Amino acid sequence: MPLVTPETVKRTLKDLYDYDIDESSASRVANTAGAMLTLAEQLGSLGLDGIEPPFGYANLMTEAMRKAAKR
Amino acid sequence: MAHAYEELLSFDVSALGEKLKAKAISPVELTEAYLDRIQRTDAKLRAYITVTADLARKSARKAEHEIVAGKWRGPFHGIPIGLKDLCYTKGIATTGGSKILGAFKPAHDCTVWTRLARAGAILLGKLNLHEFAYGITSSNPHWGFVRNPYNLERIPGGSSGGSAAAIVARSAAATIGTDTGGSIRIPAALCGCVGLKPTWSRVSRYGVLPLAYTMDHVGPITRSVRDAALMLNVIAGHDRNDSTSSRERVSDYTEKLDSPIAGMKIGIVRELTDNLSPDVQKSFDNAALQLRALGAAVDEVTIPSLPLSGVINGIVTWAEATEIHRQWMATQPQDYGDDVRRLLEVGMMIPAGAYVRAQRARARVLAEAMDALGDRDVLIAPGAAVAAPRIGESRRFDSDGGGIDVLAGILRFTQPFDVTGQPAIAIPTGLSADSLPLSMQIIGRPFAEATVLQVASAYEKARGALPAPPLIQEG
Repeated sequence: MPLVTPETVKRTLKDLYDYDIDESSASRVANTAGAMLTLAEQLGSLGLDGIEPPFGYANLMTEAMRKAAKR
Repeated sequence: MAHAYEELLSFDVSALGEKLKAKAISPVELTEAYLDRIQRTDAKLRAYITVTADLARKSARKAEHEIVAGKWRGPFHGIPIGLKDLCYTKGIATTGGSKILGAFKPAHDCTVWTRLARAGAILLGKLNLHEFAYGITSSNPHWGFVRNPYNLERIPGGSSGGSAAAIVARSAAATIGTDTGGSIRIPAALCGCVGLKPTWSRVSRYGVLPLAYTMDHVGPITRSVRDAALMLNVIAGHDRNDSTSSRERVSDYTEKLDSPIAGMKIGIVRELTDNLSPDVQKSFDNAALQLRALGAAVDEVTIPSLPLSGVINGIVTWAEATEIHRQWMATQPQDYGDDVRRLLEVGMMIPAGAYVRAQRARARVLAEAMDALGDRDVLIAPGAAVAAPRIGESRRFDSDGGGIDVLAGILRFTQPFDVTGQPAIAIPTGLSADSLPLSMQIIGRPFAEATVLQVASAYEKARGALPAPPLIQEG
């Protein structure tokens, strides 16, 4: 199981999000995140070779055109 | 003594639409009936955050003038509805069930409300939910705990808890919900009404507060399958304000509602048939038997990667929700409820690689679901493993001392079809020994809502009416 410690949680939230969290909350978050990351490792066993992320260039263009038109 | 409005409130949208068109009832009278019902029930139920009584009365008078003048717009003209309070309504408070947006009044409407308003629907108000749609209890610390109309000590499910509770308590004729991990189907299942999660991108998300961009669905919660089809007819279709909304053709979703299902092929999802409560097991088995009696061939299918759907749904939702809430988490974390704040904190710990892997894994699950469908028309599964839990109940213990996480036990039935984006409907199958609603899901191919609705409609007719909840019987 990937080790996520309360200290990691506290430092990550402070350094990356400028956000403080108390010790007991950090422990709960660390446990949940650690368990989830362990399960996330299992996703690799599904045989994802050759599967692209569901990114659509058409949507990217449409979003860009929509924003450009509003300028 | 029966209340004067009881008969009016007993009709579904389909029946009301015919009566309004024929001028047998008036939109003004109908709207007053619903406002009176809200007044009589909502102190107990907490289904509404905002009631727009003045606007509703004004809209009802306008609808009446138009219908009398022969300008009937369609089945939703003059129908009083409610919107989940994630849906933007111009100049009307849209809180997301939060303290953070407690005073927020959008400058524009969401597309779903634009289309319903154009169809002549009347807005009764904005419906309570789990804070920011991030949870399935609808025990909202800011706007009150929504209660289940069948038992006020039980949760209604969520996050669209107010939307389902209002349907079953008859304090709205139809409502809109959203579904990211099951938030339309879970409350429909636990409250005993119909909840349709359309295919992802079938209904515009424009102007709906997001929880997770790539997993959010908007759809109807209604009293009958026909009402869900009628509402989907109004809200489905491409929207230029939502670049992800589909250009796939929109059919008339009522077209096949009276077609028989004899000869159709239906697969029971094997991975969703274990760890059911005895009541759920019995009711689901009976529903499958009923489908066989209607002439469908029912067998079992497998979606091997389905048990990992919860992880995929969780990682994607955690990561996307954290991005959406980043600014508020930095400036006012104390204004979130404890449960939602903790989920957002976990989201901050999800590595980018895990998010991308989860997104890629969605294609694997969908591929297996399509293989499972094969030459079958739809798949079926229970709506939840248990009937509505008690408010605050997180674990349930059996006689052997074994325990299950009841909320996870509910989510695992709905999350897979948010991951795959397939259309899925929750429809009641009966009541438990404790008189709580039980439910079945019917799942189809992407954009095959008409087939899902056809099977649901045939089953609904064969099943017959459910006993009304005590809240209605008391009047």
